[in-house]
Amino acid sequence: MAQVLVIEDDDATAAEIEACLKVAGHHVRREADGEGGLKAALGGGFDAITLDRMLPGLNGLEVVGRLHAAGVFTPVLMVSALSDVDERIAGLRAGGDDYLTKPFDPGELAARLEVMLRRRGWAAQGAPALKVGDLELDLVRHSARRGDRQIELLPMEFKLLEFMVRNAGQTLSRRLIFETVWGYYFDPGTNLIEVHVSRLRKTIDGPGERPLIHTVRGQGYTIDAG
Amino acid sequence: MPVRTWVQDIWRTTTARLTVLYGLIFALGILALLGVVYWQSALYLNHRADRIIKARAEVFMRAGPADLPGHIRQGLAIDGAEVNIYALFSRDGAPIVGNLGRMPPRLTPDGGTINLPPTPDFPNQARVIARRLPWGEILVVGRDVSQLVEMRGIVLEALAWSAVVIILTGFVLGAALSLDPLRRVRALQAAGREIAAGDLKQRMPVSQRHDELDMFATTVNHMIEEVERLMVEVKGATETIAHDLRTPLTRARARLSRLQHALGEDDPRAEEALWVIDEIDAALGRFTAILRISELEARHRREGFVTIDPADLARQAADLYGPLAEERGVALAALGEGAPIEADPKLLFEALSNLVDNAIKFTPSGGRVQVRAEAGPRLVVEDDGPGVPESEQASVLQRFYRGERDRLTPGSGLGLSIVQAIVRLHGFSLRLEDARPGLRVVIDCADAPVRSGHHEI
Repeated sequence: MAQVLVIEDDDATAAEIEACLKVAGHHVRREADGEGGLKAALGGGFDAITLDRMLPGLNGLEVVGRLHAAGVFTPVLMVSALSDVDERIAGLRAGGDDYLTKPFDPGELAARLEVMLRRRGWAAQGAPALKVGDLELDLVRHSARRGDRQIELLPMEFKLLEFMVRNAGQTLSRRLIFETVWGYYFDPGTNLIEVHVSRLRKTIDGPGERPLIHTVRGQGYTIDAG
Repeated sequence: MPVRTWVQDIWRTTTARLTVLYGLIFALGILALLGVVYWQSALYLNHRADRIIKARAEVFMRAGPADLPGHIRQGLAIDGAEVNIYALFSRDGAPIVGNLGRMPPRLTPDGGTINLPPTPDFPNQARVIARRLPWGEILVVGRDVSQLVEMRGIVLEALAWSAVVIILTGFVLGAALSLDPLRRVRALQAAGREIAAGDLKQRMPVSQRHDELDMFATTVNHMIEEVERLMVEVKGATETIAHDLRTPLTRARARLSRLQHALGEDDPRAEEALWVIDEIDAALGRFTAILRISELEARHRREGFVTIDPADLARQAADLYGPLAEERGVALAALGEGAPIEADPKLLFEALSNLVDNAIKFTPSGGRVQVRAEAGPRLVVEDDGPGVPESEQASVLQRFYRGERDRLTPGSGLGLSIVQAIVRLHGFSLRLEDARPGLRVVIDCADAPVRSGHHEI
């Protein structure tokens, strides 16, 4: 449960975000313009902010800039109608922690916010034991262990597994995985991510072992000891 | 350009042909003029000679049989220029006195005047007349008309010279006058080729002369403007549709996804919902691709360009698509070492990924796909699948085109358009080749010639 500040000028979009975040159990406060949003954010007490890139008055990039200047580093999810890679990079460079293009599935927004909150959580408390069920990750040796079984992973496989384990229990869309793990912002085409995940699954979920990696059909993938 | 083609082209121009035609007409005019002058002069000279010899014959005939030979001798004696023929023949044609050795064969006494060709007795062209005297002898009087022959010579020479001058001038003038129009036509052709290649910002060059070429160029320019306007409208409409449909589709997908989730895994209706979600995803993918192309086309070149190693990109693409290729039973390999190029690495990687994805998609199990960085520098993606027939290679690059080979394969038909847009943004060029068997797609990264704006003439 977290306190989320939604800075969004479009009422319909704001209502959608609010509804979705409330379902996920978060407290939501909404501000409709840049000045109001900045004031609320500077007031503190929020765990995360969703911020529209285009706002009347102060725009999203300026809001982030001023927050940082004032020493406020609440994680920010930028939401924008501009999907261009350049815009994403500008948004992330200005201090946004993630970037989502309109129109979006509110579920996707909630998932990204969740991922963002967790990342911030590790930073504050130090990395938790990277463990799901009997699967353990060794961040130093970049290897994994399941029970007594030692699992050797390629660098990209380890990166993917680490991302999933860090967000255990959370459904991660293909797009979120591709953007976060690989850092690319285009449509990779034919079930590319599916192949990478199922390959990882073959390595992690050995014969006779309880499956940890699950496909959430129509949505994405999750790792869960269930 | 070879000189031969230039010369051929010059004689194909209207100006050159008209100039030569005018020259020919002029030459015919001069021929007619000189002909008429010659003919009229000949007529006049003959007429004058005839009158003189007739009058002279009258004078001689007034003399008696005894005086006549003396008169003739006297006449010849005072004719220093030797332009006259005076001769007296006996009744049976034997010469009595005068400067003709024998009777001219076609000359009949008391007939008309005839032409006498040069003979040993009188070496010039002459007009002669014969008169029978009352006492039976025959008097022949004639006059030199060799001026006529000289005049004919002069006229012919004038004709020859003027012909030479007219023909030479005609050709030189024709060539000179066509050079400039030809140069302008070349500029028009060059602009036309660029327009045909899809550069609708290009215009036909228009000079300040307002001549027929300018009128033509202006009309074509109006046409292109209209085409460009329509293209922009169609593109705008497509983008608006893509953009506006994305929001409701995304909402519908979210609702459906929640519904499918609520139904649970075992409910057959959840399966239906998933099917619909897949269809919506396909539509959304297409819209995203359309908007992506527009974004790419609107971007400014060389923004965010850095020096990169193409071989590096090839390796990354092979890494990313390796598992997919393996699953399909396709051997994917990255090859080559690269000369560095100036490019936007993320965009170029996107293009390369699209090509690799396509190649894997169209290569049957057991086949191979290579992604190579080659000298040039260029990036090559080659498969040994069914390839693309040469007749289809141009259309494959068109937006939404789905050829014979991908009728059964999912996809938006926009992948290559995205690649094309990225390649254009870089100023590179994209081409398809037959890999015998298979398809080879080449991104030629050699520095494209910097495109100048409008051609000026």
